[in-house]
Amino acid sequence: MLLEFEHVSKCYPGDVWANRDVSLGVEAGEVFGVLGPNGAGKTTLIAQLLGVARPTSGRIVMDGVDVVRRPDVARQACSYQPQTQVPVAGLTSMQAVTLAGRVRHGRGPDVRRRAHQLLQLLDLGEWERNAVPLSGGVLRLAAFCMAAVEPGRVVVLDEPTNDVDPLRRKLLWQQVRTLADRGSAVLLVTHNVLEAERCVDRLAIIDQGRVVATGTPAKLKAELRAPLRLELGLDLEASSPPFPAFVRRPAATRGRVVAEVAVADAGAAAAWAVGLQEEGAIVEFLLAPASLEDVYVRRVGVSLEEDASAAGVG
Amino acid sequence: MRRAWDSYRLLVQWQFLRLRNVLVLIALIQLALALGIVYGLSLLVPHLDHTSALFLATGAPTLSLLLLGLTVVPQEVSQAKLDGRFEYLSTFPVPRLTSLAADVSFWLVAQIPGTALALLVADLRFGLHLRAGWAVLPVFLLIALSSSAVGYCLAVLLRPQTAQPVTQFVALGILLFSPVNYPLERLPPVVRDVHRVLPVAYMADLVRWSLGAPHHLSLSAAFMVVACWCGAGLAASYRVAVRQR
Repeated sequence: MLLEFEHVSKCYPGDVWANRDVSLGVEAGEVFGVLGPNGAGKTTLIAQLLGVARPTSGRIVMDGVDVVRRPDVARQACSYQPQTQVPVAGLTSMQAVTLAGRVRHGRGPDVRRRAHQLLQLLDLGEWERNAVPLSGGVLRLAAFCMAAVEPGRVVVLDEPTNDVDPLRRKLLWQQVRTLADRGSAVLLVTHNVLEAERCVDRLAIIDQGRVVATGTPAKLKAELRAPLRLELGLDLEASSPPFPAFVRRPAATRGRVVAEVAVADAGAAAAWAVGLQEEGAIVEFLLAPASLEDVYVRRVGVSLEEDASAAGVG
Repeated sequence: MRRAWDSYRLLVQWQFLRLRNVLVLIALIQLALALGIVYGLSLLVPHLDHTSALFLATGAPTLSLLLLGLTVVPQEVSQAKLDGRFEYLSTFPVPRLTSLAADVSFWLVAQIPGTALALLVADLRFGLHLRAGWAVLPVFLLIALSSSAVGYCLAVLLRPQTAQPVTQFVALGILLFSPVNYPLERLPPVVRDVHRVLPVAYMADLVRWSLGAPHHLSLSAAFMVVACWCGAGLAASYRVAVRQR
């Protein structure tokens, strides 16, 4: 493993635990997702890796070096896109990206070429010679380029797609993949589960500072042993059709029904839905396996619901 | 060493690009500040004699340098902490105090035109015959670094909401109760004793000496005290810069 978190915990005064006994490993060349709700301890994990926060206990080892003791090694090896804003007021995208690359010790001509390439690939050509807007998707993309222009052995991306439009999101995910393909370990922190499912090789779900699940998206979905999800699209004025026994837990909203179907009943369910579509009782249907979002909701949703009900009682 | 120099150069460039649109405004404010200290304070004393005029004129650069370190630098750090810039820049592979050095350099250069012009105007207005010698550069640099190191420590250690009133309080204390614009003898004995330990009186004397004006304390003692404060300030700055939360 290129990067390993070994039983990392952080306790702030007042017995406030930001994370507890977190153990993870990230290989070179893989995109590793860290998923979790707000306040789960994802950003603390990054701060610990980058030497901004010191774990109360545990080790973070990069290439055999404990970077808790040697934060300079971590800073040398990690390039970072923060969740907060980056200091680019008054700079053009090209200036911001080039400066970040040069401060990371990139060679001038290489950095300029790579900066130009990245800005073009993310369709930011019009901002290359213009000042970066101080908020929104372009700023976020410029911040990504600042981390990717001279990538470290570990590239840390904290919510890289927030505010980014759908088309450029696709371009951004391609560049994230390219970073890993070129040998960097990409540590991707996000709560955008649907997008992460398509991009990450492996992931960990963190909740209340603890790792509650880890593995490939396929492995986590298989572990869930979840039923298939059946969605029916109806005309807005149409009423729901009567449901056969194998369609379980149907939940209807205006124009849409979401239900569960056992894997063994997939064939019958598909035939039933096709029949409804041919009769004109429904407009469309979707029969899909469990998604990473289902895994996420199952792992994290319970604790959130418990918290919400506890708050309601209190 | 080469990498440290490159990092410093690039961070200065970053600071310049970020603030170039307000650079003229900053220079004008520095000029107004320096002129204000010379002319504004002279209004308090209607018939200014040569010695008082000399104190006011040569005190202005000292106060500007102290205010640079004790208000401008902390404000920059506090603002950077609030918008995430401080933490972001701390994740780059550069020596820990490079960012502070870049800040001090930028603000020092930004205030040079104002200070120089204010000195020139004061020289002509009061007929002081000041002569800036070779010592101006090291003396100004030493004072800027010393005050900035103290201001940086305060701003890093304190929360932004607290740092601002604290640094303003310190700046006001220096403005009113420090023998920069008037002789040390005017202060009560207790405050005089405090100023034997604090660097402000020594800084003011070093500036006077570097501008060819009469100085009142031992130069070697002044250099030693200010250098000690500068060293201690930088050491403390380093400590707080490498501190992890």
